Amino acid sequence: MSYREKIAWLSLAAMAAAYGPYFLLAAKGPGPWEPWPRLHPLGLFALVSIVRMLILGAGYLYFRLAFPREDRPPLDERDRAIEHRSISAAYYVLIAGMILVGCFMPFSSTGWTIVNAAIFWMVAAEVVHCSVAVASYRAQAAA
Amino acid sequence: MMQGAISNRIRTLRFMNGEMSQAELGRRIGLTRQTIAAIEAGKYSPSLEAAFGIAHVFNVPLGEVFQWEAKASPSKAS
Repeated sequence: MSYREKIAWLSLAAMAAAYGPYFLLAAKGPGPWEPWPRLHPLGLFALVSIVRMLILGAGYLYFRLAFPREDRPPLDERDRAIEHRSISAAYYVLIAGMILVGCFMPFSSTGWTIVNAAIFWMVAAEVVHCSVAVASYRAQAAA
Repeated sequence: MMQGAISNRIRTLRFMNGEMSQAELGRRIGLTRQTIAAIEAGKYSPSLEAAFGIAHVFNVPLGEVFQWEAKASPSKAS
């Protein structure tokens, strides 16, 4: 497994660990114990973003310590081609999501529902970005 | 549209050049070992620059490294 593929797996794991619970909690809405219900999702989002950054930071640190510099080469042409393909796929997901959130949801939803929907589509685009990268590396991996 | 399959003799050429490793070949032309392995397995088609680079490392013409064979296309009904 190449270094870039490991990075893509790490990004996927960090997003699943951070944003999975976030969307589960966001779907339930603020609890009756919440003193400032309008700020509750904001604090939760800040918390999961910090969790994601901590997981990514720990992962990068582990890779840096576990693998010598030769095993962490700069991007080559295949990495750039895979990056280009995965970003193109993510772009379409993001655009579709933003059209839905920006053009249709204001007529049926309000407040944090719209904000969370926007966050969801951004996370979905990033998941697609990493998933396409992982799938491309897997497909091209020599037996 | 004309279709074809690309094959290569990189494994053979590495063997003929003192069993050069994939990592060494990659290092010489600025590619990773995994990319060389993918090219060798026919799972990734390199850029022209990389293809010429590989031929240059082995000191052979490009045609000795990569071969292209046309696939038979179904004939058009007249």
